[in-house]
Amino acid sequence: MRAELSALGAKVATVQLAGERRLAVGGELGEVLTDGVQRGSVVSVGGPAGAGVTRTAFELAASVTAAGEWVAFVDAGGTSTLGIAAAAELGVELERAAVVHDVPDGRWPVVVGALLDGMTMVVAVVPPRLALGDARRLLARARERRAVLVALEAAPLARAGAWPAEAAVRVHVHDTSWQGLDAGGGLLSSCTARIDVEGRGMLRQLARAG
Amino acid sequence: MTTRTACVQCVDWPVVVARLGDPSLCEVPIVVRERVGARDLVRAASREARAEGVRAGMRRREAEACCGEAVVLDADPAAEARAFEKIARAVETFTPRIELHEPGRLTFPTRGPSRYFGGDDALAAKVLDAVGTAMAGTGVTMSTRVGIADGRFAARLAARAANPVAVIAPGASASFLAPYPVISLGDPELAGLLERLGLPMLGDFAGLEASAVLARFGRDGARLHALACGHDSSPAALAAVPPDMRFSMELDPPATRVDSVAFAAKSLADQLVAQLEARGLACTRVLIEAETEHGEQLARSWWHDDGFRPAVLAERLRWQLDGWLAANAPDVDDGDVRAQQDLVGLAESGLDSTTGALTRLTLAPEIVVPVPARQLGFFSGDPAAALRADRCLARVQGMLGFDRVGTFVLQGGRTPTERIAFVPWGEPRLAVRPLVQQGEAVAWPGAWPSPSPTRVFAPGLAAALLDEHDAPVQVSGRGEASAPPRRLRCAALFGNGRVADVVAWAGPWPSDVRWWDTGAHWRGAHWQLLVDTGSSAGAVACWATSSATQATVDAIYD
Repeated sequence: MRAELSALGAKVATVQLAGERRLAVGGELGEVLTDGVQRGSVVSVGGPAGAGVTRTAFELAASVTAAGEWVAFVDAGGTSTLGIAAAAELGVELERAAVVHDVPDGRWPVVVGALLDGMTMVVAVVPPRLALGDARRLLARARERRAVLVALEAAPLARAGAWPAEAAVRVHVHDTSWQGLDAGGGLLSSCTARIDVEGRGMLRQLARAG
Repeated sequence: MTTRTACVQCVDWPVVVARLGDPSLCEVPIVVRERVGARDLVRAASREARAEGVRAGMRRREAEACCGEAVVLDADPAAEARAFEKIARAVETFTPRIELHEPGRLTFPTRGPSRYFGGDDALAAKVLDAVGTAMAGTGVTMSTRVGIADGRFAARLAARAANPVAVIAPGASASFLAPYPVISLGDPELAGLLERLGLPMLGDFAGLEASAVLARFGRDGARLHALACGHDSSPAALAAVPPDMRFSMELDPPATRVDSVAFAAKSLADQLVAQLEARGLACTRVLIEAETEHGEQLARSWWHDDGFRPAVLAERLRWQLDGWLAANAPDVDDGDVRAQQDLVGLAESGLDSTTGALTRLTLAPEIVVPVPARQLGFFSGDPAAALRADRCLARVQGMLGFDRVGTFVLQGGRTPTERIAFVPWGEPRLAVRPLVQQGEAVAWPGAWPSPSPTRVFAPGLAAALLDEHDAPVQVSGRGEASAPPRRLRCAALFGNGRVADVVAWAGPWPSDVRWWDTGAHWRGAHWQLLVDTGSSAGAVACWATSSATQATVDAIYD
């Protein structure tokens, strides 16, 4: 009886188009991720320190808050903190961007799991030696809640690990160069970076300007 | 027909409570402060401090500038409520129908007691006497004011104007209210609009036609218009209290301390507000009842103009329980048999109303008003998503702690750390240094230029900024560098012993901040650097600071 009811429920549920299951990504990152990001998946972002991992995360968050959705940042704490002023400049609506700071490594999976319940996107630095089981559970939770987990695999000063489970998109940022600053004059104005995007059916290398 | 109401106002109640706690504070100017969001404001000031120009609602720093010798204390609303229980009991001898608004202010309808005691003036004098007697043994002087008028709003303003008694004749409340400014209604948005429309006084507002006000300002406007006219609340705004709306809870084991029931009280308050909300109602007066193990019944009403929210109701409930339990347990030593006997005698003569632990707690709404249908936001995001986010963030707050979860607000400042303010989730999003003041954007000369760095180090990472001879780069008092920077050493960022080459740089921008404050004074120079670490990462852009003693890396672009 219950099975019949649930089958009926699935039949009469509003049809969800593939386009609605994706979050559009704007800005320069949108030129790389042309199809946006699949809801209910994990996006891992990695790269050497100073290359632009945090900046990429802010750009993803900006496209989420611009659509009226909510984003949460999990800040590891310690000396290195997120430059929220830069997030605002990159277009993140601070009203809908929650920050959770000083999360101990041991409670990281629980906190991120709780955030995936209510947020459309959760941006978090992956702690070192994250258990595969925990990662899989978070992936399942993201899929169930149709939320996106952006797993940062590198952060300056913070000890970060690699995302051990499957990721729909793996982004690698490298070879960043800055323009505008000279020896003794000028100001930093823009940067270009190479972004490799690896995912189902896509392997792209693109340069972007920012 | 508006109810004749008396308002009893204890002037500067927070100050009185502070003095009750510490008698050495009598005769000393006192400023009681409270935090509203990120701001630090004056909640109340003693007469001595007011004489120096301190006003409630001022910022603490301004108050300290006005009156340097004042003792600044933190507000303690729980202690204020606890101490006010004594006053409430003194007034309760005249009428059982008192309503508490906040610690320091209560109202009651006067029809019955006035007839019994021989008129409003006689009643007011008797109430003043009773309050004076209640405070007599404490050695703290307090001024109490009683105002009697038509309705709670007029009575409150009458009490404010009283010296120490003001009785406004029945029907004369509208003319009494007329010269007050419209901001007295407690709605700054409406008051601003009315002033711009050329209606600065309550009398001007009351002169408008009620139907026109309803058409232009909606239900809230109509309610405030009725207040300005001297009617308490229009009968149409009241709704019948739904039956079976009593929420009751057995306390097992019986509670003798407020912390043991605080959790139960919170869930009771949540339940009541949620049930009323489901029927589109909000409660403006709630009855809190408790039963002790000796079978005594305690009851007290609390009033809130805008309808109780769960947090506000839970707070009132905690205050009330604290008041009852504190009155119940005077400090008596176990060995002091005589004092204990006195206590029993006191209890038997019925003077003290609680003699034991609380066994039962009941919440019942007494006056409910319909809540106008909520307009869902169209531009600022999906309201369902906001609700979901709220629930989830409150849960994480429960896991990690209140100030670990929140949002940031942009504010005025020079460095990236100064430019943002953290607001714990659930607090109003107010900046300490607003970006726009009185309609004008505040300029911050010397602020770091855009783009801002994406990772900020607080405190900065110890580093060394070296010239070509490996000597530290010094910045003179005139803001000139001793030599161009060539190398940057930062163990935390690049690893121990490794030196990064400076490819490009801008600066130094000398900075001399807070020279007036010896503790916070800092002098140094900021640099924007592009350094080559020699690894695959390429050049890294960062902000560094050099001062006379050391250099730090403050932020990087990641």
